[in-house]
Amino acid sequence: MDVFSDYQCPYCRAFYDQTLRSVIADYVSTGKVYLVHHDFPLVLHKYSGEAARWANACAEVGEFGPAEAALYDNQDEWGANGNIAKYISAAMPAGDFRRVEAIMRGSAMPAPQATGSSVDPMAGVSHPCSMDTYIAEDIKAGYQLSLPGTPDFVITYKGHAFAPIDTGVSWPVLKQLFDTLLKQ
Amino acid sequence: MEPSSRAKAWKWVMLACRIALGIIFIVAAVSKIKPLQGLPWSVASVKTSLAMFAMGIDSYQILPAWAVTPFAQILPFFELFLGLWLISGIALRVSSILSTLALCGFIAAMASVWHRGLTVTCGCFGQGGPPIGPKDMLRDGLLFLPLSLVLLVGSFILAKKSHAASARAAAAIAQAGD
Repeated sequence: MDVFSDYQCPYCRAFYDQTLRSVIADYVSTGKVYLVHHDFPLVLHKYSGEAARWANACAEVGEFGPAEAALYDNQDEWGANGNIAKYISAAMPAGDFRRVEAIMRGSAMPAPQATGSSVDPMAGVSHPCSMDTYIAEDIKAGYQLSLPGTPDFVITYKGHAFAPIDTGVSWPVLKQLFDTLLKQ
Repeated sequence: MEPSSRAKAWKWVMLACRIALGIIFIVAAVSKIKPLQGLPWSVASVKTSLAMFAMGIDSYQILPAWAVTPFAQILPFFELFLGLWLISGIALRVSSILSTLALCGFIAAMASVWHRGLTVTCGCFGQGGPPIGPKDMLRDGLLFLPLSLVLLVGSFILAKKSHAASARAAAAIAQAGD
């Protein structure tokens, strides 16, 4: 399951809270579903690209899960003032956070964002972070799928990718799809 | 045009509308039921297609979560049944009422999605495609719904004429008996 999301998007937060938490707990942790997160930070959300940088940096030190939860749980707060570090630091041990900070050092906004398929996601990024190439690749992958927004996800089963689902869906409905696929 | 030839023309129009609308419903049903790309025809793959369709219905955010799956499992078979029923021409008044109601319901659901600004694909003829927009509503409202309305109005007119003809015949028989 390839999920394209934006940490500052309220629909993505709802999808994470109402569906993805259950997917992770019941299907990913048991090895039934392989979940791939893709960043698709929309330009209409000021800090979404920066949040994607932090999440990727956390993934580098093995703390993606707590960082993702912290970003969605505190979306309103950091979305208002851009103070993402405060919530990331609270989500992990101090040693790990120092490693994350080291990855983020030297970078500054603007971060890569999805501005339109004709625009390079790295355009305008003057102080890049080593994570930016991953984010830009995800954005380009989203463009290739012609994603209309976030959240969006694609299910691939035995090498066949089904049509993207362009919005969040409720957990019971997604669970039913997983169960029918896993029974085949 | 003579009344009899007008009635004949009207019957041909009705037949064309019945077949066109019936095929539309059948195609819509099959596109929802058929296995997703790469999967063989089997009960399990049809269940998977219906589960994918349920996600499409869920994305409209109209029905409560508990109603989504039953609705997704019933609607394609209802469309298939309705398509065959329309083509058969049996009890056309009832089938045309149902098709008109169904199409009005589809248009209302799409209008609701569009009004709320949701980026949701129609799902009317299978998965994928662009988000719902005026084009989808115009297709249903200006192309499919008129077909159904022609059938609805035509079936009532024909039934009324047939009723009047029967009454005249009964009166003639009664008169002959006197």
